Amino acid sequence: MSRADAAQGAPGPRLATPAGRAVLGFGLDHLVWLILIVVLAGFSLFIPNFFQIGILLNILEQSTFIGILAVGLALVVIAGHMDLSIESVLALTAMTTALLFGSHGAGSGLVLQPEWLALPVSLLLAVALGAVIGASNAFFVVRLRINAFIVTLASYIWCRGLVVALSGGRSVYGLPDAIRAVAVTHVGGVPVLGVVLILVFAAFAFVLTRTPFGRHLVMIGGNPVAPYRAGIRSDRLLAIAFILAGAIAGLAGWLLAARTAGATANLGTGMLFDAFAAVVIGGVSLKGGVGRLSGVFAGVLLLSAISTAINVMGMPPHYTLMIKGALVLAAVLLDTAKTALHKRYL
Amino acid sequence: MTTRRYWLAGALAALSLCAAQPGAWAQESKGRVYYLVPTLLDEFQTESVTALERFLGDVGYETISLDGQNRTDLQMNQIDDVIALQPEAIVLAAVDFDAVRPGIDKAREAGIPVVIFDRQIKSTPSDFTSVAGTVEIGRIAAAEIARLLQEKKGSVSGKVLQILGDPGDSYTLDIQQGFEEDMAAHPDVQIITQPALQWEASRAGDIMSDQLLTNPDIDLVFVHAAHLAVPVTAILEARGKQPGDVMLVSSNGAPVGLDLIRRGWEQVEVEQPLYAQAAAVAMFMDKVVNKEPIEPGSYDVLGLEATLTEEAWGPNLRIPGAAITRDNVDEPRFWGNLQAPTEKVQPVE
Repeated sequence: MSRADAAQGAPGPRLATPAGRAVLGFGLDHLVWLILIVVLAGFSLFIPNFFQIGILLNILEQSTFIGILAVGLALVVIAGHMDLSIESVLALTAMTTALLFGSHGAGSGLVLQPEWLALPVSLLLAVALGAVIGASNAFFVVRLRINAFIVTLASYIWCRGLVVALSGGRSVYGLPDAIRAVAVTHVGGVPVLGVVLILVFAAFAFVLTRTPFGRHLVMIGGNPVAPYRAGIRSDRLLAIAFILAGAIAGLAGWLLAARTAGATANLGTGMLFDAFAAVVIGGVSLKGGVGRLSGVFAGVLLLSAISTAINVMGMPPHYTLMIKGALVLAAVLLDTAKTALHKRYL
Repeated sequence: MTTRRYWLAGALAALSLCAAQPGAWAQESKGRVYYLVPTLLDEFQTESVTALERFLGDVGYETISLDGQNRTDLQMNQIDDVIALQPEAIVLAAVDFDAVRPGIDKAREAGIPVVIFDRQIKSTPSDFTSVAGTVEIGRIAAAEIARLLQEKKGSVSGKVLQILGDPGDSYTLDIQQGFEEDMAAHPDVQIITQPALQWEASRAGDIMSDQLLTNPDIDLVFVHAAHLAVPVTAILEARGKQPGDVMLVSSNGAPVGLDLIRRGWEQVEVEQPLYAQAAAVAMFMDKVVNKEPIEPGSYDVLGLEATLTEEAWGPNLRIPGAAITRDNVDEPRFWGNLQAPTEKVQPVE
């Protein structure tokens, strides 16, 4: 076999032992986790005060919003489509929550009796609003067969416009304690935001791998024709994926409002790109049909760890962007290499 | 038939009224001025639109505002479009003060005066500039921070976390320059600087959260815009801090900052004199449009003493910012209280 063939991943000699194949397979499947461990170890060696539980919890807490966005995005991408609207949905739901329940700035200071009702009501509203925008995306993509990239790009733009229109560019804050509690409470020393992040990842990882819905979604992304011939209602599943992505973005927006105690018109700017980066670094193929949420989780933690390290070191933030860009590129290259290694040795 | 005639007469009367309106209006107005606002994502910019439209209206101009959405390319396109419409003048708050330079030159070559508002441009001539003096805002902040540290610790010493806005924005870089130049006189103060990219609020929260772990002895946080102070206070509150445990100083004077002062979380807000900056544009607009000379000297702008100098780039009016504290936070002159002055602006003779 020529070197060119090898580089393209042409089948070669398999590893001799099953154990060897298992180790290589596991390593390739969890490469991003290995990278995360190496990066964290490197930071701990070279940055004073980095290796402490507080910093690790900060990384987890700060991963919450991009992480949750990335879950919704991954569902749609695995199904073979795109959702660019999630960042604006996050901003819109955060602003709506702040406008309704915030008591300072442009907020209306809505008070429910008893006061704790503000938490479930605002949460439901945020998730429902996100789901409605997701359903609108689904209608255009699934029913009218318009390209998802265009549809969700339009949603990205009009949702952001609506945020500015609703707020008039003003900051809103002063959310009731019932909502703020989510951002300030710890469970066994772990911030609730981090717990929510883990639960969301765990729940959707289960859905994706252990339920017919999840498995069919992966199939649709891998080959849209085969599931259709097998009698799987692809359109319905795809619509659900878009609705879930919207609802999850609504949840992320609500959590972000709770953490920042309100909302500003530019809240969440740039989070879409971070979510995409996490999805790609996590090993989800932008062609659809490939990916697992555990990898995405590691990708989110990796991005957050880099931002935290740069904050702690006091380095210029441009490095964050440069490192993130390099990571995305490296992830794509590694993905190609992984495929080649899979074909050759496993 | 009679009814139809009445309808027809009514319709004709309505049509002629509609047709007459623009003409009648045109006689009252001195013409159109376009205000190119860099973004509408914060209170300062949205209120600047309201203030400029109102004050320019006082002196007889109709103002149309166009949002640049923080995009240099879009603002450049807007300048091209506006040049084609031949307005009386363009009021420009630049997204990027270097990139917009060719647009300014083009407009002036087309005979349209360009007034620079809020974001100083020194690299090319313009017809009038009205700015707060962002470097001075940094200097005022430095003086206030030195005072606060002296009061708290008995000497000007300690640790200050400075959270910039976007490092690509001259507004924040100017404030940083003024602040750090003056703080250099206090070598016992350690300054840690981190920017919140794109002025995004949650990033300021992340910075605060990380710094509290690695630098738990931070005495004071200086944020370059009030909207960044909100997540900072949220993080401080979440970490069990009480108002005043970590002092907070901000610049731009937005309503949200004044609220934080009232609630005790923030000690000082260095305001940009938004209303005075906008009023100054209106005061000098006739001279700018008619290309009359503008005399250097001191001018009273809404009760503030502004200094007009003739610079290499043209007439430059600087209006001082002010430090807002708990003692004066309710004064209506601060734009953050959103009580625009009621008196009509008069053109400079």
